[in-house]
Amino acid sequence: MRGPITSGAILLAGVFVFLKFILPLFTAPLPASLIYLYMTLAFSGIMLYGTMSASSLESLMGPVFRFLSGEGQSGTGKLARLAVLVLFPLLVGWQTYTSLAPSDLPPGENRTIHPAPPGEFVGLANPYQNNEANINMGKGLYAAYCSPCHGANYDGKGPAAKGFNPPPANFADPGTIAQLQESYLFWRIKKGGVGLPVEAMPWKSAMPRWEVELPDEFIWKIIMGEYDGAHQSPRTWEEDD
Amino acid sequence: MLNKLRFLSTVTLVGISGILGSTAGFASDPPPAEEVGASVSIRMYQVEGTLPADDPNSPQWAAVPESEFNLAPQVHWPERIQEVTVQSVKVKGLHDGQNLAILVEYEDPTDDPKDAAAIEFMVGDKKAHFAHGQPMLQVEGGPVNIWFWKKETGKALDMSAKGFKTLSTQEKQDVSATGAWAGGSWKVVFTRALKTEDEQDVQIEPGEWRSVAFAFWDGALVSGVAKEKGSQKAVSSWWSIRAEPSADNSIFGWVIFGLALAAGFELVVVRKLRKGQSA
Repeated sequence: MRGPITSGAILLAGVFVFLKFILPLFTAPLPASLIYLYMTLAFSGIMLYGTMSASSLESLMGPVFRFLSGEGQSGTGKLARLAVLVLFPLLVGWQTYTSLAPSDLPPGENRTIHPAPPGEFVGLANPYQNNEANINMGKGLYAAYCSPCHGANYDGKGPAAKGFNPPPANFADPGTIAQLQESYLFWRIKKGGVGLPVEAMPWKSAMPRWEVELPDEFIWKIIMGEYDGAHQSPRTWEEDD
Repeated sequence: MLNKLRFLSTVTLVGISGILGSTAGFASDPPPAEEVGASVSIRMYQVEGTLPADDPNSPQWAAVPESEFNLAPQVHWPERIQEVTVQSVKVKGLHDGQNLAILVEYEDPTDDPKDAAAIEFMVGDKKAHFAHGQPMLQVEGGPVNIWFWKKETGKALDMSAKGFKTLSTQEKQDVSATGAWAGGSWKVVFTRALKTEDEQDVQIEPGEWRSVAFAFWDGALVSGVAKEKGSQKAVSSWWSIRAEPSADNSIFGWVIFGLALAAGFELVVVRKLRKGQSA
């Protein structure tokens, strides 16, 4: 027969395993702070349930109190009690230290790689025909203007790439342009790094604002050349539905 | 007896909640680890005594841990350059509570009059674009402070910029620098007070992170013209720098206080329990 303490512990462990390991199979992993909040709620629930009547109170808390008071203990029980009594203040002291000690790490970087584009750049269609002449012209322009960073192989490994943080995008990676629409690339090329919203940390991006130097026609053709050269295709509205 | 038990369980419940609350730190997501093989920050360590502020070859530098950053040709705006001489820079920093010294060391096969090195900082609370604090379209940016050393003059200029073509030499010059070339590499040490009266300057508060970037020019002459000049240079992205704070011993007082409080809490609970059981 299980006591209420064992049941409570099993229940808590079950809730933790569910939140930490099972739920992420179906949705995004929960942040640790949220898991902590749910665990606190579950613990409070167990304590409320266990203290509802005199008998449940005794069966839940009695063993804890007898353990802590140390009455009639010997051997392992005595040692365990001593360990708890010594470890608890040490834990509090350690927590005090870690919460007061100044952080030693440089500011963290939670940079959004593909932020939302401004409204006027959503759903624009490439006005140029996807034919060999246009693609080749785009590849030529890409070689001249883009490849120093993004690489002759469209892999983000151009000769200028290694010095930049964030690194230039790797178009051959299925996580970059294959996930994006042509109009998104048009925005990113036209406005460059300085056109990014705050969550994408525009102050760090070396991507030029090409609208200052290149006509729209060049930008649309570069996009065609990029997709063709990287063996990717743009995400379309149909796939979104 | 039952009332006592209820009281004790309330105390225990509050106590356990306290422990859980205080251990919430365990549940935090881990802090970002430093990248392997490449630095992300520079720490200027505090020294007792003199700062090797005007001597790049001072033996004092030998023991200082270094950070290393890759550099790229400046391709962000015209005039661009596709290949540069300086590929990476090693950086060390020291301070004495009043002044700081930053040593940059980089490979450049020749000692040329047009060689130059610069350190750039964000100034104030607003983020500045690493390319001379040029305006951003969706974010209001801030200015940058640039320390620009030239071999030709053997001096450093204290400069400001907020956007292209706004680079200007400040009225109040607070920076000095000394360079020494040997065996195919430059060592340049920049020095300044941690804090200045000039609002155009970066202010270094020990313990606080600032954003820093670097630029280098190989002034070797090719057909009579410097190979790298103006916007044609080797650059880095923004990285983090700080002057290390002196140790704060008051923390240990609070730790002892926390320990004592927890031990006292235990003592009270155990005594109450013993009384309750013998009653």
